[in-house]
Amino acid sequence: MNARTTVTISRSPFSLRACLNAVALLALACALLLPARWAQAAASAVTGHARAELLVHAPQGVTAGAEVWLGLRLQHQPGWHTYWRNAGDSGLPTTLAWTLPPGFEAGEIAWPTPKQLPLGPLMNYGYEGELLLPVRLRMPADFKGGPLPVKLRADWLICEEACLPEFAELDTVLTAAPVSTHAALFARAQAALPVTPPGIQATARIDANALVIEVSGLPASYRGKPLQLFPENGGVIDHPAPLAQQWQGDGLVLRAPLSAQRSDSPARMDAVITADHAAPGIRIGFAMAGPWPLSGANPAPAPAPAGATQAAPDASDPSWLPVLAFAFLGGALLNLMPCVFPVLSLKVLGFAQHGGERRRIVAGGFAYTAGVIASFLLLAGLLLLLRASGEGLGWGFQLQSPPFVAALALLFTLIGLNLAGLFEFRSLLPSSLASARARNPVADDFLTGVLAVAIASPCTAPFMGAALGAALSWPAPQALSVFAALGAGMAAPYLAASLFPAVARALPRPGPWMVRFKTFMAFPMFATVVWLLWVLGQQAGIDAVAGLLGLLLAAAFGLWLLAAPARSALGRWLGIGAACLVFGATAAWSWPALRQAPAAVAATSDARWQAWSPQAVQEARQAGRPVFVDFTAAWCVTCQYNKRTTLADPGLLRDFQARNVVLLRADWTRRDPVITQALSELGRSGVPVYALYRSGAAQPQLLSELPSVDEVQQALGAP
Amino acid sequence: MKRTIAISLLAAGMTLGGAAMAEAVVGQPAPAFSGTDSTGKPVSLSQFKGKYVVMEWVNPECPFVKKHYDGGNMPGVQKYAAGKGVVWLAVSTSADGDRAAKATAVGDWLKAKGAAPTATIMDTGGAIGRAYGARTTPHMYLIDPSGKLVYAGAIDSKPTANPADIKTATNYVVQAIDDSLAGKPLAQAVTKPYGCSVKYG
Repeated sequence: MNARTTVTISRSPFSLRACLNAVALLALACALLLPARWAQAAASAVTGHARAELLVHAPQGVTAGAEVWLGLRLQHQPGWHTYWRNAGDSGLPTTLAWTLPPGFEAGEIAWPTPKQLPLGPLMNYGYEGELLLPVRLRMPADFKGGPLPVKLRADWLICEEACLPEFAELDTVLTAAPVSTHAALFARAQAALPVTPPGIQATARIDANALVIEVSGLPASYRGKPLQLFPENGGVIDHPAPLAQQWQGDGLVLRAPLSAQRSDSPARMDAVITADHAAPGIRIGFAMAGPWPLSGANPAPAPAPAGATQAAPDASDPSWLPVLAFAFLGGALLNLMPCVFPVLSLKVLGFAQHGGERRRIVAGGFAYTAGVIASFLLLAGLLLLLRASGEGLGWGFQLQSPPFVAALALLFTLIGLNLAGLFEFRSLLPSSLASARARNPVADDFLTGVLAVAIASPCTAPFMGAALGAALSWPAPQALSVFAALGAGMAAPYLAASLFPAVARALPRPGPWMVRFKTFMAFPMFATVVWLLWVLGQQAGIDAVAGLLGLLLAAAFGLWLLAAPARSALGRWLGIGAACLVFGATAAWSWPALRQAPAAVAATSDARWQAWSPQAVQEARQAGRPVFVDFTAAWCVTCQYNKRTTLADPGLLRDFQARNVVLLRADWTRRDPVITQALSELGRSGVPVYALYRSGAAQPQLLSELPSVDEVQQALGAP
Repeated sequence: MKRTIAISLLAAGMTLGGAAMAEAVVGQPAPAFSGTDSTGKPVSLSQFKGKYVVMEWVNPECPFVKKHYDGGNMPGVQKYAAGKGVVWLAVSTSADGDRAAKATAVGDWLKAKGAAPTATIMDTGGAIGRAYGARTTPHMYLIDPSGKLVYAGAIDSKPTANPADIKTATNYVVQAIDDSLAGKPLAQAVTKPYGCSVKYG
């Protein structure tokens, strides 16, 4: 033993070896004339919950040019842990402060690959059991060996449930002779050190409040395994959030949600990836492409390095062009929705009346198309902007607000009453406005496009919510292009009718039947109102529904008053006053009900299904049970269809029961940041989403948006 | 038909207004909550509208909390805040359990340390902690008079358990209060909190 160590602290058991060491120390202390306090420190110490030891590894001896390692060995008591360089949500990394003679320097800790240490809803990164934190010793070039005193003050936070800061002051004296007493421990620490195999490349960008890392060159053994991500910077991602992983060819795409309270905006990051929690992990470094989203966080201290480019919309992306095509088709189909069809069918029939004014019709067609596309872009842009600022919104966000649903119902009732012939807008408009309309027919067509999108929105969200939600998670230009295609599709039939006279000629000739047709079209409008009332009932309860019905009645009464021909100006004003009074009073009466918090537990009428919460998922998984989560919303028609078909299938329910599956329902009818967060962690931003957590699997499996009974059963039965 | 456009634009405006939803993100409205304090009285965030509100996650058993209480640092900051008319809510998050005993213990401990929070909220079950994303004790938040969250993070700039570091650290809560009252943008609006984990149980 050439590194003479001292072991004379009161807690260590008395032994012959300790005695010998003490003698050795005394001899050394005399020889070096070291201050007496050195005798009180030692190379090891037992603290409250760990044993700490200062180790040396110098197989070639301690001289200039040789590789010399120092290390802090921590042996944790069972159940206790200390932390990695990024401790995660709580905790502190272990720190080492060295006292060395001038010219000597201890390097950074070579952190072994850490482990995930989940604690309730929090996540920490650290170590349990046996740990060695190695540090490389740098020596002056002319060092020829000789007694070298080394002092270490090590501070660590050690936690079980409770946390305690502990420290040890350790020291040892190195001589020139080789030492490899603890070669095995140092070799194990070396083997646990994260590696960077040649050919590994990583890029990263921010997308929809998540850090998206693309890694290529990973070993094949990483494929198909659950991966863990350990960022060295602790202030960026949401540590406990599930990590979405996807292989694209040879490349891996990781998606880690950003922390809602992100405290750092680094230009570069380093991280360790492990597969199946196995050491050694792979260390990657990446520059952030593009700017950080504006949030409460401090602005990025440095702009992204030159050469880093925003992930541009890539037309060769296999899924982009088909999605554009489907968006166009979906937009065209929107014209048949009960909320849109009545308004637009009448508009198209209007062509027949315009007869010969070709230029006027063509201009109107383009103005309408522009109005539709601009409105979709505005709505999508608004949503992207809100999401970038940290709002947990998905497509369909409009329908999560009870007042908005009520306003839509009111709007549809007004249109329905107009179609039914209760009143004419013309009779309500001031004459100046009416003449302005007559002067600017093209602007009128543009505004019709805007209106068409407004009334189509309750139809887009329920049917296309999930698809559009997914599109929103793309880079902004790509996402917006999808919405533009949707708008183009919606406007296409109308534009075609205005461009090609043949189409207009194919339309039925105008006649008295149009009045009947118009009245008939009031019914789909009212049917939409019925549906909106049901959605509102789910969101805010029966009182809100009664309030809204009262409001609709008051609006109808007010309109009837206004539309009635008045014989004098006084009568006219009395009518307006009475209409306003009735409507205002009803609005004041119904407003509290519309604003009210939802009935405590919304619609878990089915005893098989429990309300979803992250804790419920975790508890069930801890109990070893598989979990099936139905992310749904009352306004989502696809969700309601699945709920009444596949998810109500008796055979499937028996299967669920036989496999002891916990059934959880996450109701997104109202805005719910927790559900929005969970959806984004799953890489989605709209409902429906069906997630199956098999017992033992780290990541949930996502089923399709229209799952068949077979599909769910296969997923359940998969190994 | 044009009248309906006006109505639909109004409706769109309502969506915009309503989009500001509850989620603990700095720069956005702080999540509303109501609970009971350590003496059993109801407390809710809304009753302090119009005032600055500090929220402090506390756990008497945590060494990082002791670091700031034993030397009187946290009680000092509480008195400083009180002097500026700032409401101070200490929050004790714990798993379901013996709420009453816990309330007494936390209340007595704070009293013994000379602490002067406006109220000490017993967040049994952790709903408030989850809404705010509270991860450590201490974890500090500042809410402005309009109900907007303006600061979230650490008590100060030195993440250690060593009381000697308090002297040389920047106290982020004092800084956030001073900056806010001076109408300045906050020097640090979000920092990484340090301490023991919040005991969600």
